[in-house]
Amino acid sequence: METKIDQTLDCKGLSCPMPMLKLAKAAKGLSSGQVIEMLGTDPGSKSDVPKWCDKTGNVLLSEEDMDGGVFRFVIQKK
Amino acid sequence: MAETNKEPGILSQLFGIFFSKHWPVWVGGIVLGALNVFLFAIKSPWGASGGFNVWGENVYKMVGMFGLDGAKPLSLSFYGMLCVFLVLGSFIAALLSKEFAFRIPPKGELIKGFIGGGLMALGATFGLGCSIGSFFSGLPALSGGAIIFTLGLFFGTIVALKYLLWEMEKFPSFSSGKSYIFLAASANKGGWQRYLGWIVLIITFIVAYRYSGDNKIMAWFIIIGMLMGLISQRSRFCIVKGFRDPFMTGESGGSVGVMAGLLMGIFGFTIIKYFGIGVGDVGLRAREMTWVFPHFFLRAGIGGFVFGVGMTVAGGCAVGTLWRVGEGQVKLWASALGFLLISPISKLYIVKPLVEIIPQNLRFKSFLPDYIGYPGAFTLMIFIIFIWYVFVKWNEKTGKFSAY
Repeated sequence: METKIDQTLDCKGLSCPMPMLKLAKAAKGLSSGQVIEMLGTDPGSKSDVPKWCDKTGNVLLSEEDMDGGVFRFVIQKK
Repeated sequence: MAETNKEPGILSQLFGIFFSKHWPVWVGGIVLGALNVFLFAIKSPWGASGGFNVWGENVYKMVGMFGLDGAKPLSLSFYGMLCVFLVLGSFIAALLSKEFAFRIPPKGELIKGFIGGGLMALGATFGLGCSIGSFFSGLPALSGGAIIFTLGLFFGTIVALKYLLWEMEKFPSFSSGKSYIFLAASANKGGWQRYLGWIVLIITFIVAYRYSGDNKIMAWFIIIGMLMGLISQRSRFCIVKGFRDPFMTGESGGSVGVMAGLLMGIFGFTIIKYFGIGVGDVGLRAREMTWVFPHFFLRAGIGGFVFGVGMTVAGGCAVGTLWRVGEGQVKLWASALGFLLISPISKLYIVKPLVEIIPQNLRFKSFLPDYIGYPGAFTLMIFIIFIWYVFVKWNEKTGKFSAY
């Protein structure tokens, strides 16, 4: 079953720290249980996003490499 | 999923250790710290802003501007070549791990990259040193000016981070919009990246070998530069991150990585200076004063602050910029361009007249062992790292100083 996405955050082309700043800001606006999808191309996000989820307690539902060098993270707010 | 009994061979396992996952930052920090000590053992410690300046001077020489015809050719400059091969080393690492792609950000980001690079050039030329020369190498060199430069970096980072947060609230469109990605690989595509990676790696060794006849030092600078780029890319080693993240998301991993490298450097540099290792024609005093710059304390403070603002706006310090250039992040290309174009101009026309205003006793070389002895200076540096460590760990737990 496909998870329902409440918000999509496009960080394609952006370099560190903009993806993390935008993600942290967007997550603040979500209510508990809502799901955000983030698209990015900075390889750094692959380390940063899981670490950030660990620290904040938000749940990283999935992480995949899509075509065209885009990474997709699906995160559920704690 | 189909189960295969075949385990990957020893060689592909070895390859995987290096190029499948990112390394912990502290591993990168320790190896970079060790390579920094090797550079000092061979000649002098790691620096990056000098390399950018040589790049810039050579560009202006080519187009015949600013009377820089006498500039040292890039191929003869140790630090210019170190920077070139740092970019190539990161390029190799990105290709071998199939992480290379041209990533072109929205326009606003390119502008920020260029301005950030320009500010780094101003800070580096005024403050004598950058995030490497007056921090990652400067603290281990037991320089009092480096401590002041470091404080400047801290305040600069905090101010620029405030700006970034403000910009994101008020002008979110500045960092969004059309972006382009070219040549990206994926799991089953882009096998060419691996082949090209091996080719560039082999070329690096050939170039180093060609220098090894009459310029042994350069041969080693080339190899160490390449390794520094490779390691930085794999571990995402980033000094901006070390300064910034505690105040952003509260993450301490990047800071601890930087501290690991500093510790390695403090031990290695102190030993080299204390025992006068590598004293040849230069004399013991000159060896001791290596990477102790005449910037205590006003030049270092102001320069560090401006550099700190620049690196945070650009999203990469001197080295962070170089290795992200090699990985194809075009925002950092703009920042490298700003750095190399502004640096010679700043040196010639801005810094010179400004420095003359500053009295001599606000810009002198402060070598800490002259005041508190080697044991005192060594202990002080370790103590600074210790305090910084306690701060970032405490802050990570409590989130007291984090924006999010």
